[in-house]
Amino acid sequence: MSGVGWRPPSAWIGLSVCVLGSALSVPPARSLIEQSMVWHMVVQMPMLVAGGWLLAGSSIDRPGTRRFSDWNQYGLTGFIVSQLIAAYWMLPLTIDRAVVLPQADALKLLSLVACGGMLKASFTRSPAVLQMFFVGYAVSMLVSAGVFLATTDRRLCNAYSLDTQWNAGIGVAALGIALGCAWAWQLVRGNLQPARSS
Amino acid sequence: MAAGLWKTFAASAVATALGLACLLQATALGNAFTTETLRRTEVANAPALVPDLAVHDAAGHGSTLRQLLAAGERVWIIDFVYTRCQTVCTTLGSVFQQLQLQIQERGLDGRVGLLSVSFDPAHDTADSLKAYGDRMRMDPAIWRVVTLSSALDRRELLDAFGIMVIPAPLGEFEHNAALHLVTASGMLVRIIDYDDARRALETALGVNP
Repeated sequence: MSGVGWRPPSAWIGLSVCVLGSALSVPPARSLIEQSMVWHMVVQMPMLVAGGWLLAGSSIDRPGTRRFSDWNQYGLTGFIVSQLIAAYWMLPLTIDRAVVLPQADALKLLSLVACGGMLKASFTRSPAVLQMFFVGYAVSMLVSAGVFLATTDRRLCNAYSLDTQWNAGIGVAALGIALGCAWAWQLVRGNLQPARSS
Repeated sequence: MAAGLWKTFAASAVATALGLACLLQATALGNAFTTETLRRTEVANAPALVPDLAVHDAAGHGSTLRQLLAAGERVWIIDFVYTRCQTVCTTLGSVFQQLQLQIQERGLDGRVGLLSVSFDPAHDTADSLKAYGDRMRMDPAIWRVVTLSSALDRRELLDAFGIMVIPAPLGEFEHNAALHLVTASGMLVRIIDYDDARRALETALGVNP
């Protein structure tokens, strides 16, 4: 969120977060996401989105990125795409697929980094009202999916045990609440004036 | 400004359409959100021939999976187990016991057979299969238990039936469990939830062996 006095972190931090997140898909760290849904859904996936966000923060003012802004007025397109990407990777069957198929996992890495990048690009262009709509949607999606994962007795992913599914559910719901709080905090601090609306 | 908005609306509409298309494609048009329901939908829509892998039974007698299925004009209800299992296989075992009882009582033994396939040939020797059969009080005319003759075939077996086995604490496995309906000609025609044994039996009786 580019308020006054805030400087985008260097591309290196974003890149490092992306690389660290992606490293969880490569052995030997891969065993973490293969065995634990928490590592997969609550650590790796948010890391990739955060990495994309930070990376975009460092390149948002480049002419190459600004050329796309006509297609993303008020951040609408970016919000829709990132929401759809997030919804796709929250399906139990796509989570299974990312564990079993390397090509699906590669798609997951790329699309979640893109998701974070688009979120950043959209947040800097959108008024607080539009942000509220999408943040509200994301928070309700994360919390309801998390609560469902944490409370159902059905094993939803063939790749994961029920125990790790319950823990992941708690983590996903907590992420949703944290996201909502972080956004509300920025709003209170007055940091949410769009830097540009066109 | 206005032209910019039209571009944004167009991009958003295209993105929404593409995104929904991806979601519909991944979920078999919104019918399946888990791998388990997806494979059930796929099998019901397009029955698949099971692989002809070498197996042996509790007496150590060897054959292949399809030879075994082809003995008699029966529809088989197949489950996947490992005999040390204390969790889901025990539930599956009691579901099969109930099915065996119903088959006996209704005199359906020429029409429906039960087959338990062990996916753990490293531990499940002929002796452990025999112990499992005794423990389950298997009626050999109805219910048989076999394991793979070669551990190398494990992946092919599990993939063909859509079973995913993950290691669990204390040397156990965790795996998805269901009732698999397979014809005498070796076609996997339906996968049904293991707590819906009645429907599995009725469906088996309706299938042409």
